[in-house]
Amino acid sequence: MSVRRLALAVLVLCATAAPAAVAQDAFPSRPITIVAPFPPGGVADLHARPLAAAMEKVLKSPVGVVNKTGAAGAVGMQHVATSKPDGYTLLLALSSISIIPEADKLFGRQPAFTVDQFEPIALLSADPTILVVRTESPWKTAKEFLDDARKRPGQISFSSSGVYCTLHMAMELLQHAAGVKLRHVPYAGAGPAITAILGGHVDALASGPAAVVAHIKSGKLRPLAGWGDRRLAAMPDLPTFKELGYPDAEFYIWAGLFAPRGVPAPALARLREATRAAVAEPEFRSAMDKMQTPIAFKQGDEFKRFFEADARRLAAGVQKVGRIEDKK
Amino acid sequence: MLTIDRVAGVALAVLALGVIEETWRLALPLGSLHSPGPGYAPVLLSLVLLAFGVALAALGRGSARLASLGWPEWRHAAAILGACAFAALALERLGFRLTVAVMCGFLVGVVERKGLVVTLLFMAAFALGTFLLFDTLLRVPLPRGPRGF
Amino acid sequence: MLETFQNLYFGFSVALAPSVLLYAFVGCLIGTVVGVLPGVGPLAGISLLLPATFGLDATRAIVMLAGIYYGAMYGGSTTSILMRIPGEAASVMTCIDGYAMARRGRAGPALAIAAVGSYVAGTASVVALMFLAPPLASFALRFGPPEYFSLLLLGLLVLAYMSGGSMVRSLTMAALGLLLGMVGIDQMTGYFRFHYGVVELGDGIGIVPVAVGLFGLSEILLTAGQATPPEVMKPRLRELLPSRAEWTQAALPVGRGTLIGFIIGIIPGSAHVISSFVSYAIERRLSRRPEEFGTGAVPGVAGPESANNAATSGAFVPMLALGVPSGPIPAVMLAAMMVHGVAPGPLLISQQPQLFWGFIASMYVGNVVLLILNLPFVTLFVNLLRVPYPLLYPGILVFCVLGVYAVNSSVVDVWIMLVTGALGYVLRKLAFEPAPIVLGLILAPMLEMALRQSLAMSDGQYTILLTRPISGVLLAVGMILVLLSLKPLVTRGLDWRARLAMAEKGEEL
Repeated sequence: MSVRRLALAVLVLCATAAPAAVAQDAFPSRPITIVAPFPPGGVADLHARPLAAAMEKVLKSPVGVVNKTGAAGAVGMQHVATSKPDGYTLLLALSSISIIPEADKLFGRQPAFTVDQFEPIALLSADPTILVVRTESPWKTAKEFLDDARKRPGQISFSSSGVYCTLHMAMELLQHAAGVKLRHVPYAGAGPAITAILGGHVDALASGPAAVVAHIKSGKLRPLAGWGDRRLAAMPDLPTFKELGYPDAEFYIWAGLFAPRGVPAPALARLREATRAAVAEPEFRSAMDKMQTPIAFKQGDEFKRFFEADARRLAAGVQKVGRIEDKK
Repeated sequence: MLTIDRVAGVALAVLALGVIEETWRLALPLGSLHSPGPGYAPVLLSLVLLAFGVALAALGRGSARLASLGWPEWRHAAAILGACAFAALALERLGFRLTVAVMCGFLVGVVERKGLVVTLLFMAAFALGTFLLFDTLLRVPLPRGPRGF
Repeated sequence: MLETFQNLYFGFSVALAPSVLLYAFVGCLIGTVVGVLPGVGPLAGISLLLPATFGLDATRAIVMLAGIYYGAMYGGSTTSILMRIPGEAASVMTCIDGYAMARRGRAGPALAIAAVGSYVAGTASVVALMFLAPPLASFALRFGPPEYFSLLLLGLLVLAYMSGGSMVRSLTMAALGLLLGMVGIDQMTGYFRFHYGVVELGDGIGIVPVAVGLFGLSEILLTAGQATPPEVMKPRLRELLPSRAEWTQAALPVGRGTLIGFIIGIIPGSAHVISSFVSYAIERRLSRRPEEFGTGAVPGVAGPESANNAATSGAFVPMLALGVPSGPIPAVMLAAMMVHGVAPGPLLISQQPQLFWGFIASMYVGNVVLLILNLPFVTLFVNLLRVPYPLLYPGILVFCVLGVYAVNSSVVDVWIMLVTGALGYVLRKLAFEPAPIVLGLILAPMLEMALRQSLAMSDGQYTILLTRPISGVLLAVGMILVLLSLKPLVTRGLDWRARLAMAEKGEEL
């Protein structure tokens, strides 16, 4: 048999085998992409990459991360919301997913996406924000801080990662719950907000604990209270605002995996199963430990309830804040 | 007498007025001097541009005449811009390799009219070579086409 | 002092270990390749390649990232000089005089001066980093919104020196750039401005696509259709190194550029991109032959390139000393450290001496590696210019599209490049210099935000800009500079600009 015939035979064999292989192949048969709507090195990215690595191990199929940044996450979120719901494009979202559509509604804009366009898969971590002030400042407890704020409305300043962003919303919820008025100085992101308080340009900051723990340890910042349901494992002496009598001041910076609504049920089940297994993987755990972010895994109904309660809280918060410009 | 400064000055002044109009139409609040709103800076900068545009047009008598400008390369420029527009439209729909291949093929084969062999070599080299280097070796995510190519 | 040298010795022992050295080398190589892509600068380079370092241990990963970062900076100046395409936003000024030098057959010297200037600046700022990190970092933290605003206002003054010829024309271009900077989300109130439904414009019109479009694409549009294609340059070996005269011309600008760049770089925020613009303006102001700028003046390449490199090294000061992410690049490095289990913070230097000193030592090593790597690269790249232009420009175009797309995985950026390319083509036909547009685009959003933040801090009082010491000093300096430049009106002398204008008109002095 000539070489050509042999090659042709092999080709035909492959061609016939291939469709059979495809037909038997369950989800996933192609690389999965997790979209992180924030720049590399940010919170979303630092969750997405270890998760992708762990899921790849579990699914035995490539899982990659793509950063689609812009508009405080709206670009990446819109991209996934409008992508094909086949289970191959997923979103690693932060709590801002509930805030952005509300802000759009507030301004009468066509929302870039709505929360209904997503199907929640799993919650990965949920860190309550904590209130920090500089160690040189006169307030040693949250009570002192709030009392002072009541005496001098609009004088105590705080920085945030941007208007309607997570760190701003946390403070707004506190202001409404405790009946105080603070002065807001927005910055472009969490990094500059932290730099601002370290430099003494503002008095207070609501921040995710992982970002400031190093400064607390070195004595530059003092934590006053936390926005969580329970005390933080890493800071057991820190009271929560709930304990102090302000149960409405509850805010978490959480990270969760979402898919566009309409993903077929078998693929969705496989993804849920894979995420559960991935979170248990030792490498994922050690990656989260290194970043000092405790894993708070929730799935299914539990996550849905958490997500919806959080979304309601945030939507109400955004509406209460209103259009800042109009309030002047 | 149309000189380039006058034309440019008027065009920019019109742009500035357009921005002011858009600020008003989009209802961007101006705020106050002590607390500027989102509309404040755009209006301020439009007024600055307007002033410069008017100044440019007014002082523009001495510059070169518009008619003296030659545009001999405009066909090439249009073709290149067309190729870029195609790239923008096709990059995420057809994937990187196909888009680049078509782009190169068009520019080298049709616009520059090099021979078939040169064109094909160029297309293959750039489409496949850059993809290999950046996507495969350096893991820079580049878009793939409909069947994953 | 002695302790510092001991630590440095320790650091070198870490950095020069063969396996670590290998990673530094690989990082430099990859960085150069990625940096050559138009528009992909150090930030995009590190961001794109961060995942590749996840499997490594902390020291190796950081060393490789530092190599990528430097490599990208060196690679960026290569495309600026050879093809007038900015490798990154901060290389825009190098495009002007660097390319002019290349057109005159001095491409090799331009590249060499850029490389050596970057090396000197990089090494000097690492030395400063070593000795002065903690006190400098504390000083840098005192820069809040009012100080930032005053600094940027000074930066605006720089615009007056950016192009020769009519002041009205360059200021008009600057005004256009400033206005373009207004597109995007207003971070103080949440309003979207002029985005017309395109979510990607929420962060504003990207600087990278604008720079690549205004400079690179417009250059291609102007040159590609010429009836007589540009002369193919045939550089010879001995023309690859700068002449003695060129070295002497470059010496002081390198020194000044390093100083300016480092100081601007340590300030938290994104002000470091303006370091090359400021350096260019200062070189032009101090030069005895300012009319040479734009036609291939050596200081116009040496100054900005050194400033650029020093600024990006300076940005590491707050990051290493205080664990504060003072800009996007340090933020990515900090994240890289966090991923590898190194907790950044003020205690980094004492708790992780191996990492800190290894990093410093690897910066020295990286600079040397790149200098060695780039000299053969210079010959390679300069030989690329032998390719006839009709075949060269489609390749360049592919790289432009690739680079601009890769930064954000965004097709909108490609469209922006296209539109600004067409705009640049028209503007250059009408004899306008587009460089001020880029500076305006960078400065406008920062200026506006800094001012409004300052007003938020002071509850609406403008006096905060004067009562805070650093801010007050900066504004005073600015006022003095303005008065100095108005001096000719008073003394009725002819300043360099008027002389230049007259020379352009062919009149005699």
